[in-house]
Amino acid sequence: MVLTGTFTYIYLEGRQSKVAVAPKKPTLAIPSPHAFTLPGTLFLAQAGALYSLNSGRFHQLTAEEGWSQPSLFPNGLLAVKRSVLYSDIYILNRFGQVQRQETVDIASIPTGADPSSYNWAFYPRISPDQTSLWLAYDNPKYGYDVILSIWQMPLYGSIHEGKLWSSADDYTGGDVQPIPLAGGGVIYTKYSYGPDLKLIGQLWYTNRPSGSFVTGHALTDPSEDCRDPALSPDGHEVAMICTYEKQISYLTIATWDGSNLGPRTTLVSSQLVAQPTWAPDGSGIAYLAPGSPDGPFQLWFLPKNAYAPPPPSPIPTPTPTPGGPYNGHLPSPSPLPAPTPIVVRPIQITTDQGFDATSPMAWTG
Amino acid sequence: MVAGGLAYFIPAASTAFDALGQTVSVPSPSVALLTTPSPVPTPSPVALGSPFTILLLGSDDDSKFSADHVLTQSMILVRVVPATKQVTMVSIPRDLYVPLSVGGTGKIDGAYSYGGAGAAIATVQENFGVHIDDYIWVGLLGLIKLIDAIGGVDVVTSHPVMDDYYPADVFSNYPYDYERVAVLGGPQHLDGLSAMQYVRSRHGDLQSDFGRSQRQQDVLLAIRQKAKQLTPEDLPRIAAAIGGELKSSITVTRVAEMLPLAASFDNPDSITQIVLLPPYTHGGGPGGSVVANWSLILPLVHQYFP
Repeated sequence: MVLTGTFTYIYLEGRQSKVAVAPKKPTLAIPSPHAFTLPGTLFLAQAGALYSLNSGRFHQLTAEEGWSQPSLFPNGLLAVKRSVLYSDIYILNRFGQVQRQETVDIASIPTGADPSSYNWAFYPRISPDQTSLWLAYDNPKYGYDVILSIWQMPLYGSIHEGKLWSSADDYTGGDVQPIPLAGGGVIYTKYSYGPDLKLIGQLWYTNRPSGSFVTGHALTDPSEDCRDPALSPDGHEVAMICTYEKQISYLTIATWDGSNLGPRTTLVSSQLVAQPTWAPDGSGIAYLAPGSPDGPFQLWFLPKNAYAPPPPSPIPTPTPTPGGPYNGHLPSPSPLPAPTPIVVRPIQITTDQGFDATSPMAWTG
Repeated sequence: MVAGGLAYFIPAASTAFDALGQTVSVPSPSVALLTTPSPVPTPSPVALGSPFTILLLGSDDDSKFSADHVLTQSMILVRVVPATKQVTMVSIPRDLYVPLSVGGTGKIDGAYSYGGAGAAIATVQENFGVHIDDYIWVGLLGLIKLIDAIGGVDVVTSHPVMDDYYPADVFSNYPYDYERVAVLGGPQHLDGLSAMQYVRSRHGDLQSDFGRSQRQQDVLLAIRQKAKQLTPEDLPRIAAAIGGELKSSITVTRVAEMLPLAASFDNPDSITQIVLLPPYTHGGGPGGSVVANWSLILPLVHQYFP
């Protein structure tokens, strides 16, 4: 009975689904010799550790200590280190070693402190002129009304020297994901109550600090419910996700003229897309999405040909035939067959990982 | 083979049966508050292909409360119509001021604490004019364990849920303590703890309990979505993981029968989510309760719960 029981146990174990299988560390991913290799180096987060992906191999940069949200910094990264009560922004070198702590969000007297005396700092970005740090920071906040706002502070300075760039709506979670622009303004995600009283995300643009007033204007409609903005390397397009107030998430792009978005193009509508990130060489867009339905988030890549197919080859100009003009009957040309459209699908880069879908990725050439 | 099957199923299934397949005593209405409920027979299980209605109950069951006298912070009526593959969810405001099945009037979240699942079912049936076939009750730890046992859920969180005064009562020795919570917005894979924080926090939402109800429905849909991938062989492991922290009138056998049904529901447009916001309800009731506008609620509910 014991033997039969053991065999049956093993048999039935094999019939269990894989829903509860824990994600593997990215460094355990075995690269296939034919695997698609992304250009440059991509930085992303899983289980509180930062990883780089270069030439098809993952390298672990930090221990699993609450790290997430890497963004590019000269010769290194900005990243968030989160603990239970607060989070801070750090400068890391390209090997993941801490170079400097940029914010100090622990309560000044932590033991027995009121929870509200701690702060959250998320979504760090360096300004294009590399003189200031942009972030989402939960100040001001009012009792139960804890909202993130967009701040700009001097690099190597203090948040107390910073400028408040957004006036977050009360009881919404606030304003997040700043994308500082070369022209001096900023694109970010603003959460607010839509006409149907549901909380929604909107891309927002402003070119001056807000003080206590709302400045700038919405770039997307409330009904689109868009977040996660990413500016293309040439600065002329914005990628984002739009959920249309449902449990869906479409990868969407739109042209950007410096103050407004153009018509939207939906590139991926069959996956729960998060954190679109442009390739530095413009060859496509990486994003995170479940590898299997309702599973942990994997890394995907959508080649540029999927949304900007190359123009057709020019029709060759007939070259003069040596020997002078021909006066006889010319055969009528047979019509060319219509070119078969090439459907370019997203490429799944990883299969067994569980990347942090709330953490933007950073990608350098 | 039979012996092998028993060797596999018995340890986990025995745990599960402690909690599942419970007989419900639905009390008759009574004029006296807190009287002993009068049990009536539990309705027979409905045939699998027939429409059915389940009352989902969620409670803060931390050590602040005695085990059998907890409030139901979450009450969701779910109607499933297998033939048309339609699902309707109605969140009942926990503060709704109603006549209770055990007698007297009060907030509807108190019915369970006075008379258990039977009283909660009877109170909902009598006030909303619906028939409830089964119930599922889950506490805080049960929800965390359930979601972890199915490997987490994928959810598009509507916004960053920020709370500086979130109750630290599940894993803390002091249940009146607070902790900070920040569940960031957007698509993500939530483990049990994060999912519970997302559905439970109510401080950072102008709509308070109503906003929380919407989030609860979204996570329920994600659990249902994940259930599509489960096989009957998963159930003993999941039941063992939950460890009796979920109670239901539905048996393990019936749950196994329902898995293929869950897998066949794949059209998001066939899911109707209802939260009884104003004008269906309004504040200002006794003791901070919410007052129902039954002339609007009942036609809406009966449209989906005939």
